[in-house]
This record gives sequence, structure tokens and C-alpha cells, in this order.
Amino acid sequence: MFKYTIFFLTFIFFLSSVVAQDANSILKKMDNTMFSAKDKQGIMKMILTNKDGKEKLREGILMQKGTGKRLFRYTFPESQAGITSLSLPGNIMWLYMPAFGKPKKISLLAKSQKFTGTDFSYEDMNTYSYFDKYIPTLIETKDNVFVLELKPRSEKSRYLRIILNVDNTNYFPVLMEYYDRGNNKIKVAKYKYVKIGKYWNAEEVTMTDLKKQHSTTIILSDVKFDQGLSDEEFSVENLNQNKK
Amino acid sequence: MEKFAQVILKFRWIIIIVVIMLTAFLAYQIKSLNINSDIISSLPDDDPDALLFKKIGEQFGGFEMGMIILETENIFQGEVLEHIRQITDSLKMTDGISSVTSLTSIIDIRGGEYGIEIGELVDEYDLPDTPEELINLRDRVLSKEMYRGVIVSEDETATLIIFTLPDDADAKDVATKVKEKVNSLDLPENIYFSGSPMMVTYIAELISDDLKRLIPLAFLLISFILFLGFRTIRGVLLPLLTAVIAIIWTLGIMSLSGYKVSMISNNIPIILLAIGSAYTIHVLNRINQCKEKDREKALRLALSYIIVPVILAALTTIIGFISFVFGAYLSMIRDFGIFTALGTFFTAILSIFFVPAIISALYRNAKDPAKQDKKYRKSILSNNVLAPLKKLLFLHPKYILFTWSILILLSIGGTFMIKRSVNIQEYFRKGNPTRIAEEIMTEKFGGSKPIFVLFKGDMQSPAVLQTMIKTEKYMKESPDITSTQSIADLIKEIMYVIGEGKTIPDEKDKIEQLWFLLEGNDIMSKFVNEDLSEGIILSKFVSPDNEAKKEFSDYMNKFIEENSTEDCLIEITGMPFVDVTMDRSLLYSQLGSLSIAIIFVIIIVGLILGSFKSGMYSTIPIVASIIILFGFMGVAGISLNIATVLVASVALGIGIDYSIHIISHFNDSFNKTGDIQKALEDIIMISGKAILINVSSVAVGFLVLLFSEMVPLQYFGLLIALSMVGSSLGALTLLPVILILVNRKRQVVN
Repeated sequence: MFKYTIFFLTFIFFLSSVVAQDANSILKKMDNTMFSAKDKQGIMKMILTNKDGKEKLREGILMQKGTGKRLFRYTFPESQAGITSLSLPGNIMWLYMPAFGKPKKISLLAKSQKFTGTDFSYEDMNTYSYFDKYIPTLIETKDNVFVLELKPRSEKSRYLRIILNVDNTNYFPVLMEYYDRGNNKIKVAKYKYVKIGKYWNAEEVTMTDLKKQHSTTIILSDVKFDQGLSDEEFSVENLNQNKK
Repeated sequence: MEKFAQVILKFRWIIIIVVIMLTAFLAYQIKSLNINSDIISSLPDDDPDALLFKKIGEQFGGFEMGMIILETENIFQGEVLEHIRQITDSLKMTDGISSVTSLTSIIDIRGGEYGIEIGELVDEYDLPDTPEELINLRDRVLSKEMYRGVIVSEDETATLIIFTLPDDADAKDVATKVKEKVNSLDLPENIYFSGSPMMVTYIAELISDDLKRLIPLAFLLISFILFLGFRTIRGVLLPLLTAVIAIIWTLGIMSLSGYKVSMISNNIPIILLAIGSAYTIHVLNRINQCKEKDREKALRLALSYIIVPVILAALTTIIGFISFVFGAYLSMIRDFGIFTALGTFFTAILSIFFVPAIISALYRNAKDPAKQDKKYRKSILSNNVLAPLKKLLFLHPKYILFTWSILILLSIGGTFMIKRSVNIQEYFRKGNPTRIAEEIMTEKFGGSKPIFVLFKGDMQSPAVLQTMIKTEKYMKESPDITSTQSIADLIKEIMYVIGEGKTIPDEKDKIEQLWFLLEGNDIMSKFVNEDLSEGIILSKFVSPDNEAKKEFSDYMNKFIEENSTEDCLIEITGMPFVDVTMDRSLLYSQLGSLSIAIIFVIIIVGLILGSFKSGMYSTIPIVASIIILFGFMGVAGISLNIATVLVASVALGIGIDYSIHIISHFNDSFNKTGDIQKALEDIIMISGKAILINVSSVAVGFLVLLFSEMVPLQYFGLLIALSMVGSSLGALTLLPVILILVNRKRQVVN
């Protein structure tokens, strides 16, 4: 009987490690799908919808290199055209406002701050790998998706957990449900991925703030991958030249 | 009248059944009756200050802000910061709260040689705990206007945890949860709750507790008085039963018509209990006095006499209440008037129809009238109070008149000392946590009365923002304004941290681009509207003093006149401005409703008694007692507020009843016998007894309000009880003396 128990426990242990491994590898694969391109650029459109259905539109050019560097230059609305934000590793952002001439460095200590009026926080928008940020657990497999529960590795996250649905064939995210530290579902992100060349691209992402009934849809078009963007493009000195 | 009485007795069972069915139906409706303790919702829409105040509060979410005050020796201690964080976290996780601002979760924008740092004032995961870190935090907080006196008091003993509710949140539900959660943390510091959602919920709780405690108490005391007066079960049960039925009908109809119980109308049950029993007391007393052996006939005779005085008494009381409809500033006072009038109508109807129906249906056997008469003649009240009184009236009418004149003259002097108050602090007893919270807000956080200055124009225009800054500077020159906040301040602050100097940029495109940094921040919706065509300066007013409010109002209006332009239209409103109008209206509505009530009472009493002279005489005791009431308020320092403003008209409506009973009884008796002495004996010995029982039960009913948690209601109860005693004494002494002096001449002439 003792032998059977040992065997059973070993089996359970083995099984659980397989499951854990599975969750880890699923998340790593998702990271790979999301961030495998060396660089990416395209036109980004943001549609902000408030609870009365009133929409605000913003447009800009997006450039991204690896998982740490991102540049976004606004082209619409007119009043914000030319404003450029450059995100660099270490939660540092440089902001160039044409009316002031020189770039300003902004250290984002509060990651829960909203990204320029959208429903995405700086924590949601950064391009670090999910595996680096979260500990995954596989909850179930259903309807072509893996359902993972992500728990933040950092104690400083504003989230208690995220329920993530990952496409089980191509490993791109389909749905993310964010829970605050009181375990209330506060935000939902829905993803629409399409394949461009050898990469999968998030063509449309909608983030809805459930409390405020406010949503932001980001649509990415004219996407080009691996264009060989140089580090220079992401340098502070270059911000002025990115002027429209 | 006798025929009418006959009809009532004939259909007694139908009356009883209808009353029972109606009562059951309306009692069922009461379960959906809600409490609305929000004064703001009661502000009138035709007052521009109040209208703008409501509009701005709703548009910029000013009313949906709650505050927790944490008070201790010094805020800048590791342990205290940890407790602030615990409260903040607990609130963040509460459903129905959209944002929480506290020392541990407040945005901080720092400028440095490398650029701007946008973050939080303290790292909530690594709170400052070493002496050096704590001193640094203290220095930073006290050096910045956006924290000092806003989030932490200047004396470092109190801090605020401010939370906002989304438009659609159930304020009561959120406030209850907040209180539960914070109390469950069991923190050693003093914790107080403030802000509109907390205050409104707390007042609603007080109202509900008051009702639960005071109604049974009033019930018990009135039963006791009734038993002393009548010494029969019937004498106790019937007056209370009619009052209870009238209360059920009134509250049921309130609920059916969608009205809510306010901090004024919560005393409707007590008022109806007190005055509702009065009509039945007179009906019963009259039935008891009837010397007919035939029960049916006795009832008919008693009824045929009492119907007119009861209707008259009810009508005058109704006029007293209805007079609030005219000139009342707050809609809750108007609603109170309407429903109390309705309740009074019900009690009169019930005492005329239901009481005789019950007596005739249930008490078939009459007691021996001779025995009854003997009992009544021999009662302690009659022997020790009424008989000596009768004697005194006849022997010394002029002394009585002189005493009253002196009293009235002294009281007129006292009326000039009456103060008016619309200060919410005074609504709570000393030591009440809400009162302490208000005091802390006033002393340490620049008050709790919000002031909004509305700017209509392009919120990204340098000229508009500069006017805002100019306005703020001007406001702060007033001793009652300690801090102001606006979008212009934020723009200035960002300009400073990006190294451009603490100023508003001269070019619009710079402002538009700075906006980019602020967009999406929760604070923006508190300062500007969605399409950036309107913005506000938020401030608070320190002084609770009305003169200071008036001065500030004039001070600001002068500025607005000089600085408001087509491109930048300025308007100002806020609780102090509403208070000024409310205060003015207290006086006007008092004078308005009182004169309306007096005129109508004279007309109606005159019409029904067929003599305007009688109408005039009947008002003398009550006018005298109202003058004494005002004199007492002046001398005792009881201010005229939203509850005590009701006293005079209510006192007039109820107090006039005693005179009506005396005059109608006197006329009845004098016309029959032509003997003034006999008429006076009748009124003192018969009506006098009913009046004494009546005034004792009414006064006791109102005195119960002394146990209310709301100070204005305590005064309301005390003052009504006093004026009841005054007007009954007037009816039993002053009025008979006038009748004696007037009719002696008549007798002599005859």
C-alpha cells in the first residue's frame, strides 16, 4: 500500500510539474509570437470610446525595436501632431513636444498611470516579455485556447492576477481579464491577430475599463517587420528630427 | 348637523371596514418608502445660485466625494503611514469607488535636471520609515500647496483619504461599506467620516434611528397622559388608534406618490401622533359629557356639537402646515407642509367618522350619565386646577390682562435677539462624530463648504487660464479661502517641472501639448468638461458665519463684474452662496407663512363662527404665545434654522384649536343661557379639561423630540411644546378675560 502511495504521489508531482512546465512554455511561446520580430513599424490608430458612446480619434506612427524600445509620433489630432514619445528600458520615457523645442525626460514611477488618456496603463503598454513579468498556471484547455492564470512576479503590480486565453495553435493572446488586488475584474483586453509574412500581428486590440465603461481600440495598419531600424532611430537626439 | 351625525352612526360598519381596508393597503405601501437625507437635492431650481451649484456638482462630480479623516499626534510616523495605506488599499478594493487619493497614493510630479519624474509621493510598497525618510516626506508635503492643508493639515495632526464615486454608484451602499471596512481595521488613530456621501448616509441612519426610538417613546408617554386624563382604556386606545391610522395613511400615500422621508419630514409621525390624538380627545370628551341615557342619542348630540369645532381646528392646523408651500426655500420643507396637512386632514376625518363608528359599534352600553357627571365634576383636575382658575378669571380679569401685556412686551424685546443659522455643524449634538469631522475640516482643511467658480471659454486658451490664476489669487486674499485648485494650477506646475518657469504659457499650442501629459488623469474630469468649453476653480470656505459669507459674496461679485468677458464668462456659486439665500429665505418664509396662516385663520374662523370678531379674538392667545416663543428663542439663543423656522406656523395651526374650542363653546353656551358666568363655567370646566388633557399629550409628544440626535429637531420639539403650553394658557386665561371684558359691556348694554 505504501508503495502505491509513493507511486501515486510521485505521479501527481510529475504531473503537476508537467502542467507547470506546460504553462511556462505556453507563455514563453506567446512571448515569442508577440515579440519575435527584430523590429516593427506601422500606423497606429486609437479610438477612445466613453460610456455614452462618444468617440475620440488619435493617429500616429509606431516604431518598435526588440522588447525595450518604442517610439510613437502623433499625427492626429492637429493640436498634438508632432508630439513624440520614446520609451526606453528602465521605465524611462522621453517626450518631445514641438512647441517647446527640446525633449523632456519623464521617469514613470507610477506604472498604473494611464497611457495618455487611453485605457492602457504604462504597465499594460510596456513591451517586456510576459514570462518575465508573470508566473503562469494552466487552468484549462478549451475551444482552441489555453486558459492561463498569470500572477505578477513583482509585488508592485496593481493586478492580483490576469486570466489569459492563448490560441492553442499559433500562441497569440486572444483575451486578457485583469483583476485588481481585491480580486475584482476591472479590465478586459480582446486581441485580433493576423499573420503578416512570417509574423503574427495584433491588428486590433480593445481594452475596456469595466468600472468606467470606457474603452480604447488600437488598430495597427501598414505594418512592416524587420526593416532593420537602427538604434539611432530610438535616440533622444533623433527626437527633434522626427518632427513632422 | 344632527342628521349628519345620524348618517355617520347608521353607516358605522361600512366606515369601520373601509378604514381597516385602506389602512391595510397603505401600510403595505410603507415598506417601499425611502429616506432622502440630501439637502442639496432639496435646493430650488428657481434660485440661480442653487441651480448652478447643483449643475456644477453633478457635472464635475463634486458631490460624489467622500473623506476619511485620520487624526493622531503626528501623521509622519511609519506606523501611521502604514495605517493610511491600509485604509487606502481597503477603499481601492471596494466596489463603487472609482479613485482614492491619500498620502500613500497621490501623484507627485518632480522636476530635476534630468527631466520630469511622474510618480507617487511615496512608494506604497516601501513606505518611508527611517527618521530621515519621514522628515524628507514631511518637508516635501508641507512645502507644496497641493498637499499642505489639502491632504495633510498644517499642524501635521490630521490627514485625509479622499475617495470618489462614479455617477451611477449607490452612495448609501458605498458609504456603509466604507464605514464597515475602515472600522474593521480597528486602527488606534481617531477616524472620522466626512463628505457628501458619508454625511447623507449618516443623516439617513440618524433619521431612521430617531424614528425607531422616538415613536414608541411618544406612544408610551401620550398613553400615560391619556390614561391620566380619561382613566379608561377607550380614552387611551381611541386617540392613539386614530393617530396611528392617520400616520399609516400619510406615509403610505407618501410612498405611493414617490416622495421620500427627509430630515424634516421624519418628524411627521411624531407630529401626527401628538396632534392626531387631539381631535379624538375632544370628540371623546364631548361624548363623555353628554348626559343622555340613550347611547345612540348621546353620541348624536355630542357629534352634532363637536363636528364644527373639530373641522375648524383641523382646517386651521392644515392652514398652518400648508403655509409652508408658499415661500419655502427648500423643497423638503414644502413637502413636509403638504404631507403634515394631509395627515391632519386624515386625523380630523377619522375622529369625526371612525371614532363615533367604533364607539357606537363596540360600546353599546352607556355608563350612567349621572355617575359620569359626578366623576367629571369631582376629578382632581376640575377641583384643583379648573375651579380655582374660573374663580381667578372672574375676580381679577384685569390683573391677568396686565400680566400678559408685560410678558408680551418683554418678549418683543427678546425677538430682536434671534439669530439665524444655516450651519450644518449645529445640526448635530456636541461630541457627535460628524460634528467633530466638520470641525476638523473647518479648522485644519479650510472648511467643508465647497465653492465653485465656473469659467466658460476655451480651456486651452492662455487668456482664460491667466484669468483663472488671477481669480485664484484674488480669492486667496479673502481670509476665508485657504486653498484653490484648477487646471491652470496644474499647467503652471508642469511648466515649472519641465523647466519653463511657474507660469501659464503665452501660446496656445504649448498648452495643447502640455494637455497631453495630463490627459486620462482622473483629476481632469474634476476641473474641465469633456469638450474643454468649461472649467472650474475648486475651493472651500472656512467661516460658518453668515456675515462672512455675505461679505465674500459681495467681494467676489465685484471681481466677476470687472473680469467676466464674452470669451471668458465667470460665474460663482457654492454652499456659502446657497446659505446666504437660504438664510434670507428663512426670514422671508417665516414672515410669509406666518402672515398667510394668520389671515386665513381669521377668515376661516370668522366665516364658520359667523363673526369676524370671534375670528380676531381666537387669534389673540396664539399670536401672544408666538410672540413669547420668539422672545424665548431670542433670550435662550436658539437660532432660526431649517427646523425651528417651522415652529411658529405649526404652533399657530395647532395652538389656535384651543381658542376655537373655547370660543365656539362660549358662543354655544352664552347664546343658550345669556348668562356669561354660566358660559364661562362651561368653557373652563368642560372644554378646559379637554384642552388640558390635549395640551399635555401634544406637549409630551413633541418633547420626545428632545431625544432626537438632530439638534434642530430637539429645538423644534421643545419650542412647539412651549408654544402649546403658551397658547393653551392663553386660551384658558387671556381669551376668557377678553370675553369677560367684552361681554360684560354687552350684558350691561342689553
